[in-house]
Amino acid sequence: MSVHMTRLSIVPARRVAIGRALGLLVAVMIVGITLAAMGRPPLELLTLILRSTVGSRFGIEDLALFMTPLMLTGAAVWVGVRVGLWNIGAEGQFYAGAVAASAIGLFGTMPAIVEIPLMAVGGILAGMVWIALPAAARAWLGVSEIVTTLLLNFVASLIVFYLATGPWADHVTGALASTERLRVGLPEVWGAVHIGFFLSLLAVIALAAFLSRSRFGYESAVVGANPEAARYAGMAVSRNVLIVLLLSGGLAGLAGMIEVSGTVHRLQGGLANNYGYLGIVVAILARRSCLALIPAALLMGFILDTGIVLQTAQISASAVLAITGLVMMAIAVGDELSAYARPAIQPKTSGQTS
Amino acid sequence: MTALLTRRATLLGAGGLAALRPAAASALRPIREQDALIAFGHTGPVTDGGWTHQHDLGVEAVRAAFPRLKTIFVESIPYSADATRIFRQFVAEGAQMVMATSNYGDFIRDVADRAPEVAFMECDGRNVSGNLGWYYITHWYASYIIGIAAGLLSKSGRLGYVASFPISSVYAGANATLLGAQSVNPNATMQVISINAWFDPQGANQAGAALVDSGCDFLCGIMDEPAYLRVAQERHVWAAMWNTDMRRFGPDAYVSSVTLDFAPYYVQQIGDRLRGTWRPDAHFLTLGHGVDRDAWGRNVPESVRMQADAARTKMLAGWSPFVGPIHDASGRMRVAPGQTMDDMALYSWDWPLRGVSGLA
Repeated sequence: MSVHMTRLSIVPARRVAIGRALGLLVAVMIVGITLAAMGRPPLELLTLILRSTVGSRFGIEDLALFMTPLMLTGAAVWVGVRVGLWNIGAEGQFYAGAVAASAIGLFGTMPAIVEIPLMAVGGILAGMVWIALPAAARAWLGVSEIVTTLLLNFVASLIVFYLATGPWADHVTGALASTERLRVGLPEVWGAVHIGFFLSLLAVIALAAFLSRSRFGYESAVVGANPEAARYAGMAVSRNVLIVLLLSGGLAGLAGMIEVSGTVHRLQGGLANNYGYLGIVVAILARRSCLALIPAALLMGFILDTGIVLQTAQISASAVLAITGLVMMAIAVGDELSAYARPAIQPKTSGQTS
Repeated sequence: MTALLTRRATLLGAGGLAALRPAAASALRPIREQDALIAFGHTGPVTDGGWTHQHDLGVEAVRAAFPRLKTIFVESIPYSADATRIFRQFVAEGAQMVMATSNYGDFIRDVADRAPEVAFMECDGRNVSGNLGWYYITHWYASYIIGIAAGLLSKSGRLGYVASFPISSVYAGANATLLGAQSVNPNATMQVISINAWFDPQGANQAGAALVDSGCDFLCGIMDEPAYLRVAQERHVWAAMWNTDMRRFGPDAYVSSVTLDFAPYYVQQIGDRLRGTWRPDAHFLTLGHGVDRDAWGRNVPESVRMQADAARTKMLAGWSPFVGPIHDASGRMRVAPGQTMDDMALYSWDWPLRGVSGLA
């Protein structure tokens, strides 16, 4: 007895959601059994995780702070993936945005009401500048943006280390390997949650609206789906590629600006916390929907936060990493499996499999 | 113990530090041993065979001294907003005392400010508040002793230093080692490479190899793990390490190590917290009381050992080698003749000594 399956070319969102939920469930069960085998009561840990994340004021604040950069770096990667471009350099553009914002925040002399918007613009522009070269190389020379954007991450990270321990190092309060505290910061709205969270949320919603309604949104989608057809239809392929990548860099730069001015308040190495790379995961989780970046960032934040809770519950850092990987893989498998379905009409020759 | 107390008294008398001390730091209430939860936050993995491992031995000593209390730890805490989350999670779990074994600055300060009933200690910290103090080791004396050996052992007079970041503990370590070397070889110089990490065996390996390639025949540094010792062993040059006895990773190259022992201090700190007598302050573990040089390596000649140890004996009797004139890398005199750099000055050293390159 065999079951014939076909791969659906378009998978309904609900199917994907069910596939992922099942994947997640399987992963949680495997983790639970493993923990039980290690002598750790899984239900107690689960209660602890829920209490420390969604079940407490601090936990919810932390989730919001995790989501803030993830929504933006997720969006940065997502706008590219949507048209078949892979910006692996969100980490670098994040740093570039943080550097520009810090320069204004450290050395500016204007009131906060002027300076904060200026820092945001500076952060976005710096992110765009950081991706400009890979974007131009991709648009006109066809150089793979994957490698170029990736390599610039290391350059950006080293520049931040240099600035934070060299010319911009804090010699006043004695903070090590970081700059002084920025003079201005994003106002906190709810506990430690600052307006950056709402800005990021708005940015994702605005992006979704813009891409679904504007001519650019349509054209870039066509360019992504079929550059030859787009060219035939008279669309400027190179220009669209360039704009998409600049938009991507700008979003990542904004994430860096918000992280440094809202959460960390000092420029320092390690600031990006892998948010640029995690943005890739968020973008993939969001699939075709821009608004889905919000729950995807929430899920990613929840997984990261869970990692921290598990570590304080004395599960080793490597085990936590393994668990995180397992959960992500289970979701990916669920995702992929949801694309397979039994066709409405089963072939008659049920005895043979081809 | 008396040396420790006098040094501590001098330290607290220092004007700069007195300003940092809160006006009225009231002691936190005592805790019954069986109710106590003490949390440790580490920068690297406890299996690093160096810095974090030494702190973990301190945690073990605490558990042995107070068998009924509970300790928890998190390792490899990044210097990012994640650190704040982890410290906050410690507080949420009910920890009455949090020991951070590295400098987390604002990331710990923010949590301490919002949890006034919890005691916080930060290794290599700079802030003292109502419930946050710091502690560190006066490693520069041990570095100076090892520096004398380096000056005597190095044929080229070129020492290589594998650094993390250009911060004060690195300046103090590199400068003190070179100052020791220059006391026996005035032409000794030091090349520094910063790898932007405390625990990055691969990076330390590459830096060590690059230093040997450029003519250094004595490697030293401030890493949490022993990677560059292996380089020294393979390339037949000398190496001095940090944290603990690491000779098994390069027995022929091994000279000595800046060894650390946090156990007595941790037992005392946690005991104070339990008794309700803990107060936030700044504390140095001094030479012979938490920091020292390791037993010399098997290939270090007797004459070298004796000359270096003579300085150690003098230091234990109160002598300081950090007396001016001392010049910086640009040739400017930074410490006037006859003036002594005290421990706070050495702790906040932020300029490279004459002869040091690679540190801005």
